[in-house]
Formats: sequence, structure tokens, C-alpha cells
Amino acid sequence: MSTPTNKAPKRDALTSVNKDGSHFIIHPSDVSGRFTSARRFVAYALILFFIALPWIEIGGHPALFFNVPGRRFHLFGATLSFQDTWLLFFALSGTAFALFFITALWGRVWCGWGCPQTVYLEHVYRRIERWIEGDGPARKRLQKSPWTTEKILKRTLKHSAFFVVSFLIAHIFLAYFVSLPGLWERMTTAPEEHWTSFLFVFAFTTALYGNFAFFREQLCIMICPYGRFQSALIDNHSKNVAYDPNRGDPPGKPSDPEAGDCIACKKCIQVCPTGIDIRQGLQLECIGCAACIDACDTVMDKLERPRGLIRYASEEDLLGRRTRWIRFRTIFYTIMMLIGLSVAAFALSSVEPINITVTRMSGSPYYMSETMVRNQYQIRLINKSETPVEFRIDSKTREGAPSVITSGTDRTILVEPLAEVPVTFVMQVARSDYEGPFTVEIHAFDDMREIEIIREVEFLGPDAAFLHPNEEQ
Amino acid sequence: MQSDPDNKPIDSDGPGVRPHTYDGIQEFDNKLPNWWLWTFYLAIIFTFLYWFYYYDASTLKTDADRVGEKLQEMEAKKLAAMGDLDEETLWQMSRNPTFVEAGKSVYRGAGGCLACHGEDLNGGIGLSLVDDEWRWGNEAMSIYAIISDGSPDKASGMQAWEALLGPEKIKQVTAYILSNHTEEGMAAATSLNPPIGLDQ
Repeated sequence: MSTPTNKAPKRDALTSVNKDGSHFIIHPSDVSGRFTSARRFVAYALILFFIALPWIEIGGHPALFFNVPGRRFHLFGATLSFQDTWLLFFALSGTAFALFFITALWGRVWCGWGCPQTVYLEHVYRRIERWIEGDGPARKRLQKSPWTTEKILKRTLKHSAFFVVSFLIAHIFLAYFVSLPGLWERMTTAPEEHWTSFLFVFAFTTALYGNFAFFREQLCIMICPYGRFQSALIDNHSKNVAYDPNRGDPPGKPSDPEAGDCIACKKCIQVCPTGIDIRQGLQLECIGCAACIDACDTVMDKLERPRGLIRYASEEDLLGRRTRWIRFRTIFYTIMMLIGLSVAAFALSSVEPINITVTRMSGSPYYMSETMVRNQYQIRLINKSETPVEFRIDSKTREGAPSVITSGTDRTILVEPLAEVPVTFVMQVARSDYEGPFTVEIHAFDDMREIEIIREVEFLGPDAAFLHPNEEQ
Repeated sequence: MQSDPDNKPIDSDGPGVRPHTYDGIQEFDNKLPNWWLWTFYLAIIFTFLYWFYYYDASTLKTDADRVGEKLQEMEAKKLAAMGDLDEETLWQMSRNPTFVEAGKSVYRGAGGCLACHGEDLNGGIGLSLVDDEWRWGNEAMSIYAIISDGSPDKASGMQAWEALLGPEKIKQVTAYILSNHTEEGMAAATSLNPPIGLDQ
């Protein structure tokens, strides 16, 4: 089966899917310019960041370490245990609204500049491909050519390199879950000792390789949910990569005085990684990578015409109107983003390495003896830290409350790392003192008194009139 | 090449449109990508394989099977932890320092028995466990039963500890209490009520 290598983009079908449903392989040509350089710089910085994170230690742990078997997550010095996962809701929704906010202002700028799919595809895999197989036209020729020795050699080399890179990325990714010493241990011991890790690396390598070697732009166009709902996030005031038809149309020869600034050189189509013609307007496939801007600017420079025939512009800009930055949606997204992120930040800063829960013991809410009213509690001491903690428990009442005799907690209680210890806690009040329910604060603190946790409970008893039948009300 | 967004180019050899119109929106009649179709086909094949293996051939365990197995396992573990649970064994354990030491740490730790029965078992809010008077029976098994199921006197405040401690720890605590007594002394002691046993 021979697939075409050249195709004119149309708005009634995806360029990357042929009429028979097969994948049309896109070979974007080389492009250079200010946006390409800036994107490459951002991409390398992000890749460096991804590689460096497991190596950087903050507070004795890697900067980012998702210890799944240990149920602990280390985030830049903060340690979260699985009880703290609720704050992920706020962190993730805050981040999502930050993305919405950026989308409302600058369209799919995340896709073109920050998304790992683009970062690795454009700046790692396609660079390797370019290096081995040559520029876009050369790659098209290679695709059309029969299986010569040269083609076999180049393809083998390319796919081996792709596989090795995928393998390395999978290893670094695994380090986020097992830490670097854990990764090294897995690399130096027999596979059967950590077969889940080996399976993970194998599956992840295969997925990365399949994605970056073959699937590519199909993920952005058909799978990525963000790509699909971006059209609901933008409006006529959002800046997108856009062609200015007022200036460019009708396309024609540079010498034609009737023609616009567009000379129909098709450079913008040749460099597009999703195979669209930006001159047909904003399209779903566009990932906002700005390659066409650089391609067009280069041509405009040669013709000594002003740059920006293709530029970041909103629909309003193109109609000659002013882009409004402050709109209902940008304000709404900002508020939602701030709510999510500030709740997450507050929650993260108030997460303590120890915790206690206080529950009334099963049975009746209070007990009576000859002289006393008694409340029984079960306190659970939870140590989420890496070191053993010596707990002390104390109780306090507010002014005017009867004096409380406690038992069960007049000692230090040792709780091992990651352990929980239940403690029976009994409070008694003399019958003659009891006047009705009152609040007791239970304080738990570590021996150094660095952390103190307070829980309030209600001391209950019978109707006071029943205890003091002879007193006048 | 068209650049005017209102001028919709539809080629004569293009995909054409589907007959339906919803809210004035029409659909191009493009073929789905082959890889996309294959995800459907593979899902259909998987359905039949799944169905066959789980529910027809019974070669793989269903979730219900697995839950049943797990419950059986837990039951077996519980029975094993109960082990030989009788007077003889409990007394034997009370003479073994390892068991007694373990029982003591449960008494002071996870059980929190000391809150009511005192640091040295001599009572307080709860009854003394070192004197020669027993409320619910002067037998090793009645002590075990009280810890496990709680006191028959619901006004006393002695709750059932079975769920919190489990049989192993309850045996250890029983052994710790018994270590302060002798079989002969216990037999001679008084019981205010007929000795109780385990509910089950």
C-alpha cells in the first residue's frame, strides 16, 4: 500500500487521516526564528527540570517522590500521607483553572510551549529524526523510496535511537516513584525481584516509543481532552496563532499589485506539525506552536515586507477591533484558580506529621458510679513521620467547667514511624460538680512540644436535675 | 486556496456530508481513523474473551470468588489465632514470660486497660484484677470472654475489645492477668455470678 506524501490541507477532513482511514505521515520542514528558538529553550529547560527533580534533595527526600507502597508523597519538602490526598482536589482544580485562564488569554499556548507531548516530540524525537533522515522533503523521499540498504539502515538507526530515548525517559519517570537509590537497586538486581517495576518500564517504554515514533499528532488531535474542550474556553478575544486575511488576501505573486502580502509560498503548511493550512482560520488541530509564524516572518523579511502576516492575534484583532483582556471568563477563571491554589497552599502548610482522632468508646455515652459521672474515649495517635514520636496527652477545660479527673494518659506513649496506637482515655467528674454538658479540649503533643494538636469533645452526663434532686432550681 | 472563513470549500471529490442536520450543523462523512476503529474492534474481541473466561469456562476467578476466598482466609486466620482456647492453654500461657510480657504491654498500650483497672491491676474505675473476688466467674475462660465480648453488665462501661485487639492480644492480656493468680487460688476464689463463657 502506498500512502501519499503530499496533500493540500482542506477544512472538510483531517490532513493526518487519509481517505481510507490510514495515517497520513506528516513531515514538517525545518523552521527557524525567534519563536522556534524560544520554544527550544523552554523545552530544554523543562526536560532538564524533569531529569533533575529526582536528584534534588529537599528535607532528606527527593524534591518530588511518589512513594506509592509507603503511601507517602514528598512534594518539595512537604510530606503528605494518603490521609492528605483530599488536598489534591484543590491543587488539581486550581491548576486546571490556571490552564483555563491561560487558554482564555492565549489559546493553546500550553500545547505549543509546555506540553510534554510537544516538548519531547519536537525537541527530542524529531531532532533525532532530522539528524538521521534529513529535512522534511528528504524524509518524504525516504518514505517513498523502496527498501534500499540506505533506507533500512536509516530506519533501523532511527527506531533504535527512539527506543533508547524512550527507555531512558521511562527510567527517569520510574525514579519519581521509587527514588534514585530504588531505581539503581532495580537496575542492578535480577528482574524477578522487582518484576512490577520491570513491567512498568517495559510498558511505559513501549507506550512512549509507539507514541513518539508513530502516533504523534494523533494524540493532540483525537485523544487529548484538553485539546477537545479548548474551543469552549476561548472566545473572540483570545490570542491565537492567526493569519491576517485583510493583509494577506488574495494570495498572489510578489510582483502582482492586485495580490495581498501572502505570496502562496506554502511555507506555513510545510512546517506545520499537524498538517493544517493556518490561512483557513483557527482550526481544532492547531497546537499553537508558532512554527508558521517563524516560517512566514522569514519570507516577509526576504520580501522586505513587515513581519506578522501570521502572528498571535485574536479574532477581534483581525477585525481591526481591540482585544479585551479583562472579560467575564478571565475573571471567573482567576477566581476559581485562586480558590483552588490558596486552599491547597493553606492545607499543605497546615499538614502536620502527627495526627490524632478522638472517638467515644462503644456503649453508652456516659457511665455513672456511686460518686462519679464518667466519659470514655478512644484516642488514636497517628505518626506520619519517619521518626518515632513520644506523645503526651493533656486535657483542658474552659473557665467555670467542673474539674475533671483523667486516667489512661498520664504517661508518654511511644508511636513508631508510620504507626497508629489506640489509647483508652477516661474522664470523670464528681456527681456533685456536674451541671450539664461542657467542652473538653484534648491536647496531644510530641515530647519536644514542637507540634500540638487539639481536639474538642463534649463531656456528657445525665440531666443535672437528676443528680441534684434536693437543690432548688 | 481559500482563506475566507465564510466560504466553505467542499471539493467534488471531498467527503460529502451526512444527510442529518442538527441545529443547522451538518457532519462531513469522513472515514474514522483505522487505529480508532481498531480500538473498538479489540474492545469487542476483549468482551467475548472476558465473558468466556470468567463466566463460561470459569478458568479465571470472578470478583465474587475472590471475595469468598478472602473471607475464608480471614476466618481461617481468626480460628488459627484463637488456637486451642481453653482453661488449660490460658493457664499455660500465664506461666510463659513471653506471653505475660506481651500481655502487659497490651494492657498498658493498645488495650489501655490501665485507664480503669489501674497500673498494677488493683482497680480504680474498674474492678481489681488481683483480689480473690470475681464478678463474672473465677475461670480463665470467663476472663477471656469478658475482654472479648465486654461485660454482661452494660452499665459498667467495659466494652467488647474483640474488634480492636483480636484474639491473639486478648489471650496475652488474659495470660498477664492470670500470671497474678494460681490455678488453685482461683478455684478457691468466689464468683458473684455463675462463670460466663464466650458468646459464640
